[in-house]
Amino acid sequence: MDSLLTTSLTLAQDTRLEAFAGVTLYHYLFVSATMFSLGVIGFLSRRNLIIMFLCTEMMFQAAGIALIAFSRYWLNHTGEVFVIFVLTIAAAEAALALALVVYLFRRKSTLDADAWMELKG
Amino acid sequence: MIEKLQIIHPEMALFAATCIVLLIGLSGRSALRSACAPLTGVALLAAAWLGLQSPGADSELMQGMPFPGLLPYAKTLIALIGLLILPMLAGTVDRSYEKAVERGEVYNPMRSTRGEFYAFFMLSLIGVMLCATADDLIWLFLALELTSLPTYIMVAMSTSRLRSQEAGVKYFFLGAFGAAMFLYGFALLYGATGSTFLSEIREAMAEPGGAGPMAMLGLVMVIVGVSFKIAAVPMHFYAADVYQGAGTTVAAFLAFAPKAAGFFTLLILLGAVGWTHGPNGDALPPELRVILWVIAALTMTIGNTLALLQTSVKRILAYSSVAHSGYMLVGLIAGPGAGSIASNGLAAMLFYLLCYGVMTTGAFAAIAALERRAADGGREEIDSIEDLRGLCRVYPLVGWSMVVCSLSLLGLPPLLGFFGKLMLFTSAISAGEIVLVVVMGLNSAVAAFYYLRLAGYPLLEQRHDEAESPTLTPAPGRRLAACVAAVGVVALVVFISPLQRASHEATQLTPLPAVVEVKPASEAEVARR
Repeated sequence: MDSLLTTSLTLAQDTRLEAFAGVTLYHYLFVSATMFSLGVIGFLSRRNLIIMFLCTEMMFQAAGIALIAFSRYWLNHTGEVFVIFVLTIAAAEAALALALVVYLFRRKSTLDADAWMELKG
Repeated sequence: MIEKLQIIHPEMALFAATCIVLLIGLSGRSALRSACAPLTGVALLAAAWLGLQSPGADSELMQGMPFPGLLPYAKTLIALIGLLILPMLAGTVDRSYEKAVERGEVYNPMRSTRGEFYAFFMLSLIGVMLCATADDLIWLFLALELTSLPTYIMVAMSTSRLRSQEAGVKYFFLGAFGAAMFLYGFALLYGATGSTFLSEIREAMAEPGGAGPMAMLGLVMVIVGVSFKIAAVPMHFYAADVYQGAGTTVAAFLAFAPKAAGFFTLLILLGAVGWTHGPNGDALPPELRVILWVIAALTMTIGNTLALLQTSVKRILAYSSVAHSGYMLVGLIAGPGAGSIASNGLAAMLFYLLCYGVMTTGAFAAIAALERRAADGGREEIDSIEDLRGLCRVYPLVGWSMVVCSLSLLGLPPLLGFFGKLMLFTSAISAGEIVLVVVMGLNSAVAAFYYLRLAGYPLLEQRHDEAESPTLTPAPGRRLAACVAAVGVVALVVFISPLQRASHEATQLTPLPAVVEVKPASEAEVARR
């Protein structure tokens, strides 16, 4: 665990991709953590349902990037397999989200989350 | 390899029924359409029976799992509570449309939602069962999503009112947010240990320095993400709105299924970390313990306090379900204890899940069994606590079910809820969590105030105006579910000790293999690479 964070930060390289030799696990994790944080911030601050949904998708994909980077770091394929399943779930959620949003839009003609305040208390 | 399928026999039975129900729900013959619910019932019975036969602790298939004895208890519990909820669901969707078809309207399969409704119900239960079965993070993630995705649609279609769709959208968005949280947590766990198999994660965590900052961060994110499923702080705030917006029958389902899935997930993941840390070597790692401690204390306090302020029965029950999540978390913090049943917090948690499932289903069923005149002249579900006035005199079965179930939720001896809570108390005391026990005791006292209101309105108050008062719904299944749950709350007390022993056996943690045994395996693995 310590080695993961301090000493050995280079991704395990077999013989491939020498061009990316300078790119370490940290870089990927940084991108992933940034994407995830932007997703959280966007979800909490935006009020348009479509944008909010895209923010959750971005959080999913941030986890995907982290999984692939870890997969390369540990030199096994588990993380990559995980990402395939994550993509499937993300597609299912997208279908569900758009169906629900279109359904509500037909009844209310707005995409503003604040306009739906019938439930309060 | 094929004998491994034994592990998921109950899920396979339910899935076969799901496919059939999807088909016959669209049938043009109304007799075939109305076979959906009975078929679901048969499938759940079969799943309960198959669940009892699931491989237990002595089976070879379960070696290496953190909790080898969990399956028979978990699957039977899920199938039986599902069976209790099922009669309530009858008449939730398509009631007006089926009436129109009876009057002679041409049947249009595009407008029928009955098949989907029961199929989603079963798919969600399959998800809960798979959560309890999981031995891999990928599996666990898929199972959690399988539990949740159908419930979003069930909420949105549960009534034709706009607020149900709003509740569905709200539930979905927060659910997706929570899912992303625990997915990122899973990714970090994988990053810290190099494996998604729970048994390997467990070995990696047991090594010196294995439970490092990245693994802890991952687990904390999982806990926060799963707190959406169990409606705990910090993701509890949706509960009241969603339960109130959803139809009462679906709210009862929401109060059980996602919660059970969340608790099984936490049980399995914390089992991978182990209660072998802390100063005496019998607690969770200090970071996790503190976080769970704060979540548990806040969840019960906030749940009970907010429940005091409500006048809608569904909102009261929603906040009560939040508070009960807090109680169950106490069992998780206490851990497996020293070996006796009374000190086993995990067994207490599983046993309380059973008690909670019966009690809360009964309370929701009693409300669902009643309807009142809506502002637009139609009939709508009751919601206000005023509607419960004098129920015991007018409809004794429903009224008394409500009284018994709310007293049991309060934890009044000698009802089922009391024994569940007692077990949580004893386990927390033997784990040395005295402050948490005090918080829980105070909360139970505060909760008495609103549960006694729920019991007192039907029992002691008088009806004001007969014409405006609620009447029974034409769906008899809801009365049935309420009565069965109330009888269960009283009658299961007789079977307390076998049930507690079963939950104790279900939560026996496999001791970790000695480090010496682990080393050659990992070297062989390295050589293979």
